[in-house]
Amino acid sequence: MDKSDIIARPNRLVWGGLLALALVAPALVGFDLYMIHVGITISFNVALATSLWMIWSLGVISFAHAGFMGIGAYASALVLTKLGLSMWYGLWIGAAVSALFAMLIAVPLMRTRAVYFFMASWAVGEVIKRNFAYFKDFFGGWDGVFDIKPPVLDLGFLQIDFANRIAYYYLALFFVSLTVWIIYRMNASRTGTIWWAIHENELLAQHTGINVFRQKVVCFTIACTLVGVIGALYAHYQTYISPKSFDIWKSEFALVHLIVGGLTTVGGPVAGAISLTMVDEALRATGYFRTIFFGVVLIASVLLLPGGLETVPARIRKLFNRNSQK
Amino acid sequence: MHELEARGLQMKFGGVTAIAGLDLTVEEGEIRGLIGPNGAGKTTFFNACSGRYPVTAGEIRYRGQKISGMKPHQIAAEGLVRTFQHVTLFKQFSVLKNVVAGNYLHSRHSYWGSLLRTRKTREAEAGSVARAREILDFVGLGALMDQQASTLAHGHQKMLGIAIALAAEPKMLLLDEPCAGMNSDESREMIHLVRRIRETGITIMLIEHDMKVVMGLCDRITVLNFGNEIADGTPEAVRANAQVREAYLGSQAHVA
Repeated sequence: MDKSDIIARPNRLVWGGLLALALVAPALVGFDLYMIHVGITISFNVALATSLWMIWSLGVISFAHAGFMGIGAYASALVLTKLGLSMWYGLWIGAAVSALFAMLIAVPLMRTRAVYFFMASWAVGEVIKRNFAYFKDFFGGWDGVFDIKPPVLDLGFLQIDFANRIAYYYLALFFVSLTVWIIYRMNASRTGTIWWAIHENELLAQHTGINVFRQKVVCFTIACTLVGVIGALYAHYQTYISPKSFDIWKSEFALVHLIVGGLTTVGGPVAGAISLTMVDEALRATGYFRTIFFGVVLIASVLLLPGGLETVPARIRKLFNRNSQK
Repeated sequence: MHELEARGLQMKFGGVTAIAGLDLTVEEGEIRGLIGPNGAGKTTFFNACSGRYPVTAGEIRYRGQKISGMKPHQIAAEGLVRTFQHVTLFKQFSVLKNVVAGNYLHSRHSYWGSLLRTRKTREAEAGSVARAREILDFVGLGALMDQQASTLAHGHQKMLGIAIALAAEPKMLLLDEPCAGMNSDESREMIHLVRRIRETGITIMLIEHDMKVVMGLCDRITVLNFGNEIADGTPEAVRANAQVREAYLGSQAHVA
């Protein structure tokens, strides 16, 4: 069966179950603050990996992705520290600034292909980070920006202070679910068909009348807008950001989440980001050896589970069919 | 007004001249053959017409409009659509989805519509699927609709390539070796298909090496050699042309 047909037939039960589980998760872990922190980290990583996957539907991987998350984060943080506007403004300003830069950069970037695109996007990511470090007076240099307060939601009858970690968890969950939903919808529609067509065969896509360049710029811009929002959320959660928070490694970890999760459905990056963030946190106890263990997990999953976690349901189904035939 | 018209067309790649000042016209409703030895510039001519490579000099007009200098997607939108010599498909897509993707130009697409799944978007997507089914039935791939394109037999893949082109609703089709690599049954099927496409009112120009196919199918034939037109006329006239024989068989041909 064709991979896009799998996308088109959503497994509502799995998505619904995952969302329900995420909603009750704080209660399940006994409102343990560390575990909720892990939950929030998972949310950010899911959004980062999923929006990176959206760019992948064009057939390329952008190493500048964490950089655009950084643009959203810095925009929102500076709006607060310099102008005194809360995150409710910062979110949208962060998204808009990230979108603007994404569109400007995509115009030359999307004229490159394959390995040249990887190198160019790598450079873009690095330049974004270096700019944060270089303009010390404005961005705070390597020291970063401090005291990025989380917002307070005032509904009149109810006040929610998002300095409360449980409240922030639900805020993050809301925006991440929205991000995944947007990407899922785009991908399952004609827009997704167009992007995958470019992925499959750019030459043919062009000759069927698709303005490939324009589609690429639009896709890149949407993905960076989404990740800009997540960057803003990240800044107000950590209350501190520095250029190092958004370097190439963050993009590369998102890429690893994609590869371990699977590259053909939205479920891939979601599954990859959730499971690997948990593995990463579980390995925290190993201290110095954490990256080595992480590498072992990565290699093992690629060797033992080619195609990624998204192929697990099909594998189980196959196993059952084989057993029932006996 | 000619359907397709090239005037003084030149295509140079570095020091290599692939087409050297070609004048050529194709009339509406005909099946035109384009033949010539390897390296004569046939595929280069298609690449020029479809906007894949920029022309060095001269111009190409389609229905009176200058298309040289336009981008491939703009030329396709004008109604001039090509296929490729090598199998060129969206290989991981199902057969149906290949043709749905090819229908891009004639189905409303908006990003907001995709996100919100508005009624218009759903109708447009359903319309595309219905049109794709029609086209697949027309080319004879209706039974293979749900198969992945990469699993099809070679002959069926070539057919699918034409189905994708038809989904763009062209007024003129450029077919680059539609029968390449086919056995005689498949070739016959393809010839039949090309005739039926012409009956729907689409002008066709095709490159083909198989002389039986070319002579049996085409109304007129243009012969290229070293980037120049050396003959143009009905199949009988071209077959009798001494220059064509020389180009194909070498200069000793007339001795034998």
